[in-house]
Amino acid sequence: MNKQTRKIIGEIFFYILIAIIAIYLIFPFYWALISALKTEGELIAAPATFFPKEITFRNFQAVFTNTAFLRGILNSFIVAGSTTLFSLMVGAFAGYALGKLRFRGRTPTLYTILAMTMFPAVAILSGLFQVIKAIQDIAWLNVPTLVLLILIYMVFTLPFTIWVLTSFFRGLPDSLLQAAQVDGATFLQTFWYILLPLTAPALVTTGLLAFIGAWNEYLFALTFTLQEPGSRTVPVAISQLGGRFAMQEPTGELMAAALIITVPLITLVLIFQNRIVDGLTAGAVKG
Amino acid sequence: MAVSTKAPKARQLSDLARQEERTAWWLLFPSLLLLFLIGIYPLAQVFYLSTTNKRFASSQPTEFIGFANYRDLLSMTVRELPVQLDEAGQPVIEDGKKQYESWVRVLPREPLRYRAAFEFGFFGKRYVIGAVNADFIKSVWDTIVFTVVAVALETLIGLIIALALSRKFFGRSVMRTAMLVPWAIITVVSSLIWEWMFKSNRSGFFNALFDRLGWGDGNTVFLVNPALQMPSIIAIDVWKTAPFMALLLLAGLATIPRELYEAAEVDGANKIRKFFSITLPLLLPTMAVALVFRTLDSLRVFDLFQVVFGERRYSMATFAQFTLVSNKDMGLSAAASVIIFIILFIFAIIYMRSLKVDA
Repeated sequence: MNKQTRKIIGEIFFYILIAIIAIYLIFPFYWALISALKTEGELIAAPATFFPKEITFRNFQAVFTNTAFLRGILNSFIVAGSTTLFSLMVGAFAGYALGKLRFRGRTPTLYTILAMTMFPAVAILSGLFQVIKAIQDIAWLNVPTLVLLILIYMVFTLPFTIWVLTSFFRGLPDSLLQAAQVDGATFLQTFWYILLPLTAPALVTTGLLAFIGAWNEYLFALTFTLQEPGSRTVPVAISQLGGRFAMQEPTGELMAAALIITVPLITLVLIFQNRIVDGLTAGAVKG
Repeated sequence: MAVSTKAPKARQLSDLARQEERTAWWLLFPSLLLLFLIGIYPLAQVFYLSTTNKRFASSQPTEFIGFANYRDLLSMTVRELPVQLDEAGQPVIEDGKKQYESWVRVLPREPLRYRAAFEFGFFGKRYVIGAVNADFIKSVWDTIVFTVVAVALETLIGLIIALALSRKFFGRSVMRTAMLVPWAIITVVSSLIWEWMFKSNRSGFFNALFDRLGWGDGNTVFLVNPALQMPSIIAIDVWKTAPFMALLLLAGLATIPRELYEAAEVDGANKIRKFFSITLPLLLPTMAVALVFRTLDSLRVFDLFQVVFGERRYSMATFAQFTLVSNKDMGLSAAASVIIFIILFIFAIIYMRSLKVDA
């Protein structure tokens, strides 16, 4: 066998490997899609068909008229959006202080925040339960559960946001700060007019990761919306979808719902993929 | 003269430093307040609750009970199971196997009632591990097995994907995008899709596929049969997280200088040699960090177990959540949380030590 043939065979094997990886990654979505498009009869028929014999959009229609599910989507947008916004606002201040200002107690603060990024959420569950109960007991305050969820979600989005923004602020040249100081700008003016515009890319990246984290969160959402179906976010709403029709598992509708809520995420990923990869790998790779 | 001009300047500087320090704490204040309220204070509460018998929605007064919750969760014992004898005093044999007495006969009932967590054979004898809270002991064991196997497989598959994608080829950017999708999708949703694929008759994908290949009877109960539960749930987790691992490793591969490979080629090294002498050692730091992240993540697995198994089989996190929400036993749930916290901490330390990861 000469070199040329060996190279071609190598190429063929390489593309077969790539094809296998692609199928592995995509197949569950394909299965969800054909299941959502099948009629109820075909869905429960054995053996399963790998392509629907008859395509129906009834499942998608049913999902789009399911108020619990639509409410879940709205709730998720409110909660994930607000959590991201607040985390960025509060976290940018903290990141600036930790990344650019000199003060006593900086290192311990930084390490506490790093430790909190690795915090298992379940470790504080019963304690949070107490805190939430105490806030809810203040009757005149009447805090809606969605607001409480936003507050709770900061426990995992905020430390992460602060950590990433701190390292970003630290990377900005000191000369910028000094120049501003010479011109008589206060620390806040320096922050607002000079540093914040420069950090916009980092804000987008961390914001995206915070949004996805909050959008996907299940443990707190499940635990704290137990008594309140109206406040359920998408992950909880979809996991409870089955319980609503006791007679039969609504698999087709479940798969349709699964695809519908995956679309916004895939869109985000498509638009911002490079930023997301940068954000994910920022901590792991020492360049 | 020289002294008098220096003194006010020094004071001015320290004024500036003090002002900087004040600004810093003001900027940190909102974050620290929030993190204290929803992170540190609840954690302290958990430690406190774990020493009480507090239940919510109950009229029973809360009392300090010391380490009783921990004793209930962690008490274990090993007993030998006696061989089952018939009336003639001969061992009962069914299907060619010796039959053993039930664990009910050998495990202690007083002062604490033990239930069987595991049974195992050792040198021809049969033993039972009893635990006061068998569900919790099983959840700890299952979570650790899940973590070790899933993380090992993810690393292996992630490495294969990363190596394949490190080469330039047609459609590479599309593949890189496709890799983000399993990571970004809601875990609850991917769990639901896989749960449907694992359906217990031939209307499910795996049963239909295995039936066509002639394996099994087409009615394999992947998610109910205890022997198949763990492999199934690990398969789901690997699908969701191997691409994430691949992305991290891909970024690590990109930092390896090309000249090293060129130099190795000049020296006549083949592909395998290059992989073990250059790629793997230089990828190790990235892999170590990825391993730490993934291990800590897997140890606190909640969504996947909650959706797929519900209350049929627990991870440590679903056990703690179930104890809190359904059993309304805050004290016991808090104690379980503390144990989870400690296990994670131990794993983190072991990793940092053995892989020499510096923070």
